[in-house]
Amino acid sequence: MSAEDVKGPSAMAAHEDKSAFGFVMAAGLFFVVSGIYALVIAAKLQYPTLLGSVSWLTYGRMRPVHTNGMLFGWLLAADMGLIYYLVPRLCGVKLWSEKLGLATLALWITIILGAVVTISLGFNQGLEYAELPLWLDILVVIAWIMFGINIFATVAVRKYQQMYVSLWYILASILWTAFVYLVGNFATMFTSGVNQANLNWFYVHNAVGLIFTPLGLALGYYFIPKASEAPLYSHRLSMIGFWSLAFVYVWTGAHHMLHGPISQWLQTVSILFSVMLMIPVWSLVWNFFATMKGQWHQLKDNVPIKFLMSGTIFYLLTCFQGPMHSLRSVNAIVSKTDWIVGHAHMAVLGAFSFFAVGGAYYAIPRMLKTKLHSQALANASFWMWLVGGLSFFVSLWIGGFLQGLQWNDPSIPFIDTVKFMQPFWAVRLIGGILMFGGILIFFWNIVATFTGRADRPSEAL
Amino acid sequence: MINKVNKSSMIFAVAATVFFWIGGILTTAAPALLDKSWSKPAPGLKDYATLAKSGDADAKAIMEGRAIYVREGCWYCHTQQTRTIEADTIRSGWRGEKSPVSTPDEFVYDQPHMFGTRRTGPDLSRVGGKYDGQWHAAHFRDPRSLVPGSAMPPFPWIANDPKELAALTAYIQSLGRAKNWRPSGDYEQ
Ligand code: HEC
Repeated sequence: MSAEDVKGPSAMAAHEDKSAFGFVMAAGLFFVVSGIYALVIAAKLQYPTLLGSVSWLTYGRMRPVHTNGMLFGWLLAADMGLIYYLVPRLCGVKLWSEKLGLATLALWITIILGAVVTISLGFNQGLEYAELPLWLDILVVIAWIMFGINIFATVAVRKYQQMYVSLWYILASILWTAFVYLVGNFATMFTSGVNQANLNWFYVHNAVGLIFTPLGLALGYYFIPKASEAPLYSHRLSMIGFWSLAFVYVWTGAHHMLHGPISQWLQTVSILFSVMLMIPVWSLVWNFFATMKGQWHQLKDNVPIKFLMSGTIFYLLTCFQGPMHSLRSVNAIVSKTDWIVGHAHMAVLGAFSFFAVGGAYYAIPRMLKTKLHSQALANASFWMWLVGGLSFFVSLWIGGFLQGLQWNDPSIPFIDTVKFMQPFWAVRLIGGILMFGGILIFFWNIVATFTGRADRPSEAL
Repeated sequence: MINKVNKSSMIFAVAATVFFWIGGILTTAAPALLDKSWSKPAPGLKDYATLAKSGDADAKAIMEGRAIYVREGCWYCHTQQTRTIEADTIRSGWRGEKSPVSTPDEFVYDQPHMFGTRRTGPDLSRVGGKYDGQWHAAHFRDPRSLVPGSAMPPFPWIANDPKELAALTAYIQSLGRAKNWRPSGDYEQ
């Protein structure tokens, strides 16, 4: 694979990028809204009576709006938008149908608004990440099929025979997602108890592993060489990473129930495969770092690269933690604590959101054939995110780990371990406010790029 | 070179896809078939959903309470599993008596399951009979009035609705009772 495959081809087809831009903008807006929910529920841990008399603003209803909003409203929508951008470019053709793309966007926005209303009203199905009522689940499936048709049809008529690794990830993920989503939202209807919990964890784990991971990595594989103008280090390594991901991810769901009421052998299987996750992760990180060799000076003023490479480091850390948590001895301390909450936020807000934001900062000006509204603001959003994120993650790891140790000493009353968390929760809230500032600046920056696009025409695309 | 890579990656591709499906089936469908304890109810376990349908008033209240528990997202802060960790059995225990660990047969009728992932508050798998109804009524209205420093939100709209309050309390009192584990049936009402 040469640099030419990654660079250059886009000049051949005139891309409209309407669906791409629409999805990223909608995602940005949902990012802001979910961020507001995030700050309120973080504050509620410290002031439980805050908005306490309004049923639809209670912690247990705002939290699922926050998680679904972040996962499906922001991250998945942003990934989809950037995929509408990069797939046509990797194929050297236009998106198969902009009309279908815009219809998908309209449906997606309907789904997210429907989710906010139903969950707030208390229509919660009671399964994590699968809270939405059945009719919304069905709309999600329809939207996903519409998205899949558009992408597969674009790839089918491509001009470039060789398929770059991003395309592998995207096509596979579209198929995996279908299977994973059906298990998590439909198969669970016909089961109960431990059986249902097992399907639920299969879904939750693979929503991250086989949806957000491959889509996020597809962005990394595309945007890191693009934004740094350096060819990907190794095509072969990228294939090893891809297929080993497919090998090991599905087996690990039960590590969410370690020490719990679920068969021991299944726990052991999930531990073994969790440890094997190191293979795809390390091969990817090696590849990205080797691509950047000789290019590190770009970290100084190339904002997309800052996001993409910090995202890579967060990914490495997240995926080092994951296998560690699945070891029984470690799990006995960190499971059910805020350590895991820190871990989950590093995956979604650190690793995969960084890939999406880095990609968006790179792609949005090119979608609009203009220049970014402000590099300085983009840089500011990066630092707020990084500093906010690190204080958030680290405070929850320290607090969560210590709380886990306290739980293992039953002479300490539970409520003391709650009070103990308060200072850590305070730091987490401050970190969250910083990150929210980053979200606001990001959103403002892309809106201003849009509204001022005519004033800053760009020659280079 | 490219050709060679593509060929070996094709073989790998087929293998991985096969492995994906093996993994998918072995970890979702197979365990339930292999491990009978997942579907065989514990001797003392009551199927409240069926009982409620046949007109049992207590079972009806418990099912309504369970729906409230799901609706209000109590399960984001409370787990319902006493794990195979010694400290768990002591924390779920009662007056020095350790509680039995949770087993799959206690949850056969749980739909949706409420095992939970996060313990912002204590585990509730053996909380049935730990406090009396009055305690719960006051606790739902204002947790901090009973437990200073609590992070649990108040639920005035439940506390002010006698029917919902009775239902939620009935559900909480039913938790963990399939195994009659306390010496001399020492449960609060
Ligand atoms: C924001 C997290 C949170 C939510 C949501 C929450 N709780 Fe709690 N809960 C706690 C904390 C923290 C405690 C420990 C302090 C206390 O007893 O108030 C607790 C304690 C309890 C206890 C006493 C347990 C014991 O062993 O002492 C019960 C029962 C309980 N909660 C039931 C519920 C129910 C029912 C709901 C939903 C209507 C709910 N909780 C929602 C955090 C939460």
